[in-house]
Amino acid sequence: MDRRRFLASAGLAGASIVAGCGSLQEQSTQSPPLVEDRPKATYYPTHAEGMETLGTGEAGDYRVGLTYSYPHRFWTVTGTTTEQVTIQDADSVHLMASVWDPETTMVLPVQSGVSITIDADGETVADKQPWPMASQNMGFHYGDNYQLDGEGVYEITVRVDGMTERRLGGFAGRFGDAGEWATNFEFSRSARDNIAYTEYPDQRGSRAALELMDMEMLPTSQVPAPEALPGELLGTGRGSDEVYAATWLTGADFLESGQSYLAVSVRTPYNRVPLPMMSLDSTVEVGGETVYDDALSAAVHPDIGYHYGAVVEATGDPAVTVETVGPSQVSRHEGYETAFLGTPTLNF
Amino acid sequence: MSDRGISRRDFAKSAVAIGGASALAACLDRFGSPDVPSGTDPTTLPARQHAWDGGLPTDDAGNRRLGRHHVLLLLNYERDGTPTSGDRQQVTDALESLERAYAWQANGLQFTLGYSPAYFERFESGPTGVDLPDPAALAPFEEPEFDTPDATCHLASDHEQVVLAAEEALKGNRESVNDTEMRDSFDGIFSEADRRTGFVGAGLPAENQDVDGIPDSEPVPEDAPLFMGFNSGFDGNQASEDRVTVESGPFAGGTTQHLSRIRLQLQQWYEQDSRKQRVSKMFCPAHADEDRVEGVGENLGTDSGIDECAEDVVENSRTEGVAGHAQKVARARDENDTPVILRRDFDSTDGGEARVHFLSLQRSIADFVATKSMMNGTDVADESAVGQRVNNGILQYMRVERRGNYLLPPRDLRALPPADPA
Repeated sequence: MDRRRFLASAGLAGASIVAGCGSLQEQSTQSPPLVEDRPKATYYPTHAEGMETLGTGEAGDYRVGLTYSYPHRFWTVTGTTTEQVTIQDADSVHLMASVWDPETTMVLPVQSGVSITIDADGETVADKQPWPMASQNMGFHYGDNYQLDGEGVYEITVRVDGMTERRLGGFAGRFGDAGEWATNFEFSRSARDNIAYTEYPDQRGSRAALELMDMEMLPTSQVPAPEALPGELLGTGRGSDEVYAATWLTGADFLESGQSYLAVSVRTPYNRVPLPMMSLDSTVEVGGETVYDDALSAAVHPDIGYHYGAVVEATGDPAVTVETVGPSQVSRHEGYETAFLGTPTLNF
Repeated sequence: MSDRGISRRDFAKSAVAIGGASALAACLDRFGSPDVPSGTDPTTLPARQHAWDGGLPTDDAGNRRLGRHHVLLLLNYERDGTPTSGDRQQVTDALESLERAYAWQANGLQFTLGYSPAYFERFESGPTGVDLPDPAALAPFEEPEFDTPDATCHLASDHEQVVLAAEEALKGNRESVNDTEMRDSFDGIFSEADRRTGFVGAGLPAENQDVDGIPDSEPVPEDAPLFMGFNSGFDGNQASEDRVTVESGPFAGGTTQHLSRIRLQLQQWYEQDSRKQRVSKMFCPAHADEDRVEGVGENLGTDSGIDECAEDVVENSRTEGVAGHAQKVARARDENDTPVILRRDFDSTDGGEARVHFLSLQRSIADFVATKSMMNGTDVADESAVGQRVNNGILQYMRVERRGNYLLPPRDLRALPPADPA
């Protein structure tokens, strides 16, 4: 006897009776067909779904917010290839966790990851590490589709592990430890099915992006415009639609005399959402001499945001080459899955 | 109120998972009594408790395979202070009765009895010549609880009836097994702190996949020996029994055992990852790109072909975005390029939840810690686009719940040994 499948089919029957024609159910378990000939770049998706906030709270040094929406299709990334994750019949919701610094409200991509455990009646219903993900209207978050055991009250626990990324400036010494936060969620299909859902038959597939949502209790994940980055802006460049901005800092509080800091901030076009989990190499020449030739490390700084950087044992006017060894490995919501997959080399 | 009701754990449960006299009776009633070769004079058995290989059959490729059914009893010694010679004799009589009853092979019964750091606390010092640390968290992202029983007894057989009957006999609930009298039992000596069960071998994971942690689509392949769907524990990727044996001191001939209880969550693995992604995460990206793994990996032979994977895991992960589990673990080798742990792990449906009881033998617990450290791939996460768990081997799909360390003494010291037998 397969209880979960039984519940799923009972749920379907229930919903179609309530909805009369089953349109709500269709909306929540299906998405419109993908655009044909998707551009190899950011594009306007077929549809957008709103979301509901389940709560926010402190988790150690972090602040965490949890939101949900309809189950989504999305794409995981390994190397330079994507793999579409389709919606399963048993999927109930798409859960999204955001993690940020309560002081600066900067959204923090944490490579060590987030785990979400869902319990009901003393039993674990789901325990997964959701995918680090980028979406046009929500930015960077951790998300996945979850299969609940019917309507009712669930306890959701979000655990954020300690950051291993380099933490600079005001972030030094913070976010090294794991934090945990829990909230209750009363799941009902009718509440879920009241979440906004909009299709874009005219704009879909065009070279554009949805705007970031105003999420009330949650900050949006944006890195500064290139000209707002601290230090001397060395330039910007376009890769496989993602925007690279390189800046050169001297005299920052985390540097010693004779040192400079190269920061490369990679973000989406339109919305400036950071693209974490890339592998970048860099060569820096000052006065015709190679002063750095190695990998860049993921780092966060209150004024730079998430970026890839290196302390360089030189000062002066740099000539910088940035080689993309591996593109951003974050999973993608629709409209981002064909972009940011290249391995460009840029010179600044 | 919710429309949730009884959990799935109440629907399907194997006899071994249920345990006890009634489960054994039901099992015998339904499947009869298997024809099991009887045992031998215990003095003719190997000096090492962990000398199981000689009694294991091989698969078509030539890999040794463990007995299919397993019971782990976590036991507390009921007497405060140091053991008496009477207690030692009772334990010896119980174990030797099993050895007379069943042949020392997978088709019969194999077992070990090991002792924890907590057991040795009753003596002035830990076991002489063996470093047996308290269990510890072995990754920055895990928060296991620690097993601190005094002892653990691992029973393994191809037959459910045999592990159940042997367990019942040890508990004093049967006077004979396989037509052989039990001269004594653990009754009054050990009390049960926990009972864990499981299975390994083609067919069993698929039969037992109706548990939490595995999606309802019944994705586990029919011929898979483990829930994750691939062959594992290839001979070429295992340490030999010699390599894991303590070489000197009073416990020479013994070994150490690490036991962890790991919860599996395979919804993403089976419903979101593609087969190519699964191969790259279990083995390495090159295996996936070259389509080197057929089915559950029966074409691989007696090793996982890890020589064909990129050697520099960090550099490979930077371009591929994924690090293979086997590829990472293969870095834990000794100066002779040999793996240092001998896996005897198995899957479990205890509590209606998919788990692994990861049991490994090694000369020193430090060998396990080194291997686990390679599996963690923290270096890979720090220096590449691979996450600490996402795309980092199979770490995303498991959570370590408990850890425990044990000394498996040589056979002549397996009954409540002193810390310094010299």
